[in-house]
Amino acid sequence: MIVEIIVFAILAAMAVGGGLGIIVTKNPFRAAMWMVLSFIGSAGIFVMLDAVFIAMLQLIVYAGAITVMIVIAMYTMDRLTIASLGRFNNQGYFGALFGLGILLDFIVIASKLRINTTFAGKNLSIAGSNVKAISDVLFKSYLLPFEITAIVLLIALFGAVALTKKDL
Amino acid sequence: MLAAYMFVSVLLFAIGATGAMIRRNFLIVLMSLELMINGAGMALIVMSYYIGNISGQVMFLFVAAVAASETAVGLAIVAMMYKNKKSVDINDFTTLRK
Repeated sequence: MIVEIIVFAILAAMAVGGGLGIIVTKNPFRAAMWMVLSFIGSAGIFVMLDAVFIAMLQLIVYAGAITVMIVIAMYTMDRLTIASLGRFNNQGYFGALFGLGILLDFIVIASKLRINTTFAGKNLSIAGSNVKAISDVLFKSYLLPFEITAIVLLIALFGAVALTKKDL
Repeated sequence: MLAAYMFVSVLLFAIGATGAMIRRNFLIVLMSLELMINGAGMALIVMSYYIGNISGQVMFLFVAAVAASETAVGLAIVAMMYKNKKSVDINDFTTLRK
């Protein structure tokens, strides 16, 4: 139990510290590196919660694909233009206040949460395999949303191509 | 431990929301949006573990797909705006205001 708490503290510090690094760093390249740190911490927390497949998906999709896509978009722009912007907006204090309100609101909700935890950590794998359990539910109960997700990705691809066309 | 996990998820969401509202650089606003989606997904995984139902992890798959498409469209908007204005400052993105 004590080992679990120590590992959780390290991973949570990685996730939250990376998030804080994103919103206070001036240079967007460094912010992208902080984002990778935050996503790796989140993936570790997912492993602690027996979601092994989702943790690997997190590493591949978020820490791999999305970060590389944002960094490559930055490569095509002028370095001084994107790195020499001021940090915060003129009305930034109001946004910070609003974010603090969201935080307090959600903390109250999370601390009042009462759920039945008799099944905690059960039903998450079939024959020792997390992937089998996920695919069993995904392809039996959520087949239509899965197909719609494919259409959403296709339309996002069309939208991205249409937005960056030369004469629109 | 449930409250601790939920606290991390809530903190990620609130940090992302704050960053999306206070930063000037559009690329960092996009990263903050990713952080918000990640916090919401972590709440799904935590509840999936403590209730003992795999559906939360399936929902995370859909959330990840939506996050990927959102980043693609957001980066297309950034590229278009940079081509027209040579800037990624959100205060310059006011072409519809006049």
